[in-house]
Amino acid sequence: MDFIIQAIVSGTLMGSIYGLAALGLTLIFGVIKVINFAHGSCLMVGMYAAYWVVMLTGVNPYLALIVVVPLLFFFGYFLQDIVIKPVLEAQSDVREPTEVIIVTSGVWYILDNITLMIFGAEYRVVQTSITGKAFEIGEIIVSTPKLYGLIATVIVSVALVWFLKYTKMGKAIRAASLDREAASLMGINQYRVYNIAFGIGTAIMGVVGCVLIPFYYVFPTVGVIFDVKCFIIVVLGGLGSIPGALLGGVIIGLIESIGAQFMTSTWTELIVYLVFLAVLFVKPAGLFGEKRDW
Amino acid sequence: MTKETLDKILKIVLIVGVFTLPIWMSSPTYLQILILLFFYAYLTTSWNLVGGWAGVLPLGHSAYVGIGAYTSTILFMHYGLSPWIGMLAGGVLAAIVGTIIGIPTLKLRGAYFALATMAFGEGVRVFVENTDKLGPFVLNGPRGICIPLSESFWNFQFMSKVPYYYIILIMLCTALFVTWYMSRIRIGYYLNAGGEEPEAAEALGVNVAKYKVIAMAISCFMTGLAGTFYAQLALYFYPKAILGLDFSFEIAFIALIGGRGTLAGPVLGALILRPVSDFSRIYFSSFLPGLHLVIYGLVLILVMIYQPRGIQEPLNKFYNWILDKATGNIEKKGVKS
Amino acid sequence: MAKLEIKNVSKHFGGLKAVDQVDLSIEEGQIFGLIGPNGAGKSTLFNCVAGVYPPTYGQVFFKGDDITAMKPWDICKRRIARTFQLVKPFKMKTVLYNTMVGSYIRSTNPAEVRDMALDVLEKMHLADKKDLLAKNLTIADRKRLELARAMATNPEMLLLDECMAGLRPNEVDEILDVIRGIRDSGVTIFVIEHIMRAIMALSDRIAVIHFGEKIVEGTPQEVSTDERVIKAYLGDGYVATGN
Repeated sequence: MDFIIQAIVSGTLMGSIYGLAALGLTLIFGVIKVINFAHGSCLMVGMYAAYWVVMLTGVNPYLALIVVVPLLFFFGYFLQDIVIKPVLEAQSDVREPTEVIIVTSGVWYILDNITLMIFGAEYRVVQTSITGKAFEIGEIIVSTPKLYGLIATVIVSVALVWFLKYTKMGKAIRAASLDREAASLMGINQYRVYNIAFGIGTAIMGVVGCVLIPFYYVFPTVGVIFDVKCFIIVVLGGLGSIPGALLGGVIIGLIESIGAQFMTSTWTELIVYLVFLAVLFVKPAGLFGEKRDW
Repeated sequence: MTKETLDKILKIVLIVGVFTLPIWMSSPTYLQILILLFFYAYLTTSWNLVGGWAGVLPLGHSAYVGIGAYTSTILFMHYGLSPWIGMLAGGVLAAIVGTIIGIPTLKLRGAYFALATMAFGEGVRVFVENTDKLGPFVLNGPRGICIPLSESFWNFQFMSKVPYYYIILIMLCTALFVTWYMSRIRIGYYLNAGGEEPEAAEALGVNVAKYKVIAMAISCFMTGLAGTFYAQLALYFYPKAILGLDFSFEIAFIALIGGRGTLAGPVLGALILRPVSDFSRIYFSSFLPGLHLVIYGLVLILVMIYQPRGIQEPLNKFYNWILDKATGNIEKKGVKS
Repeated sequence: MAKLEIKNVSKHFGGLKAVDQVDLSIEEGQIFGLIGPNGAGKSTLFNCVAGVYPPTYGQVFFKGDDITAMKPWDICKRRIARTFQLVKPFKMKTVLYNTMVGSYIRSTNPAEVRDMALDVLEKMHLADKKDLLAKNLTIADRKRLELARAMATNPEMLLLDECMAGLRPNEVDEILDVIRGIRDSGVTIFVIEHIMRAIMALSDRIAVIHFGEKIVEGTPQEVSTDERVIKAYLGDGYVATGN
């Protein structure tokens, strides 16, 4: 039985990090109604940023957050402002502009391949003070960096919910996500709200980047792995739903870790796709999504 | 000479030129580039039936290329069935799978459909990469399949590139004709209407979801045929090459840059983007790998911002302007006719 | 037998009774008006008839056939057409294209369909604009196109959802003429309208709904003098001072 409990613990820890990554995606979708296909690439940028901060200064990866998170915030802010906004404006009378999906996939291709051109295709690892650290509770081994990941997820989620509920900007974001026309009539500058929401979404990817580098490789297409996972997680949990993203992340983490006890990891990948398609067919709104005319 | 006659003459010259091309250009390298160009134009034209007209964004069409390639190859290697027949079988299977996937997903709106098709495409790739044998059939997982050489028309294998050139050219012309014909009859009107304003179309008697599924089936059938063509052209294929995200996205990108939902868009898109990717792959791949994808991405974003209807629109205007200029019509009709 | 019979229809959204046990009966050749304050449930009732969503309870009959909970396209095939309050033209297509989409329900032959659509556009005074893209039309012309598209399906009954909202008075008069013309060609019309003046002038019979319930039904004169209607529209205070 121990190996199952071990798998549940590891799966939950890793799944919470997936959930954190999906949180940024679901926030952006909730507000702008656009799937950000460059989401994984933003994570990749976050991981490279964290990697270089740690490599160049030798600081603790969690200290790198101070640099990486603002950096990613402004990266997302200007990405939305410069690249996505013009398309949204041009398609302002379209309810769900698929053109924006295309633009974000263009961003994905550009980011991944520029990174490939600058840093090369090699896998990079950084040795930090906590790399490979773990502790035991009874028979169960808990990876320290992944535990920090879980803690980061909890802190970020609570902070995000608090921000959306109690701050002026947060309320504006929620208003804009409900009805973008009405919100703009109420004097909310919708595009500024979008910029900030996008900035927060990518800033979260900065957190994920810092959390991941103590135990994960960095390479130009690392985002794709997380991209597809995040898409699956947010649809599973319900696009736009914060608890849905977290729960979806944990479910995927558990499928992977428990599945790994019985089969090779590529087969668990297939199971994830099957679960995803099953959810789409049976309950397209996802576990926590509101029933809408999707 | 009137504008219309000049237009006709130019089009006839183009058609004659394309069909006689192998006579005066014998370099297999360039022929191969053209074959691949037509191959992409054909795929994108097929994609366009769903992605352009039905107003959704399929991002998993590589799955149907794969279904076509594997079906005809397996039938050939195990039962000696001619790939010409296998091609039809692959197309039909792709259409069936496309219908099964389409019925639930085409009811979903934009983002969900894009994600569902994408996940399906990736799922097929992962499945094939992990399967050495499917029942009695050898798939060879990630290593792919090598088709045994035996040149004959019946075996869909030719030493020269010329037959391949004509086969894909005829396939492309057929696909364009089908698209053109469909755009003029009820299904074309219904698809376009349902893609743009589904509620309004439904109120006018259009069962939007049903027509989308029909479009999906036709599109997947045509895409499946392309899979067999690719397998017979390369005689060796593996999951990374014909399945997976990059391939699916490339098809969608070409359509969107060329002009979604238009007849000429896919062809123009392939005409402009394929050389970019071929040449940057040849000349820059050693020191700047991925450059062509950066260019793709940049072109895509710029087109989406400045020409959301694709480059076919300015090109059309330019063509008309040239025609006007050449026939001295410029004063009468104005530059922006 | 009534052309359209709405029997005891209710539509609940969660706990909200948007439409509550409404009965209506529309005779052949009538123009039947449905009015009520904002949020009274007019559009919801309409959508139940048009098949956008099924009623929670109750039934809808058309020429005696039960059409409750049929899909919008099947209802259209039974020759009930509708327009939308927020017009939904196919923006990137021409006026003729828009109208042909409607006509295709009558034939699969493109040439025939084209002629039918041109015929409708002629009647709607849109023929000279047939090659314009719908997105380039004025609001008034968009509303007209919405009507033309619905008429292109050759309906026996037409459901009009606030087709005069947002128009200038002279444009309202024009569209009133168009609607009367449609009625005179033998089409029964069920119309929701917010502009009182317009609907009083247009309708043969009017029903008023308020908070989802039908409160009055009668001729325009009867309805316009009914105390409950004035109350519903203007609030209690006005009735008191009026007395």
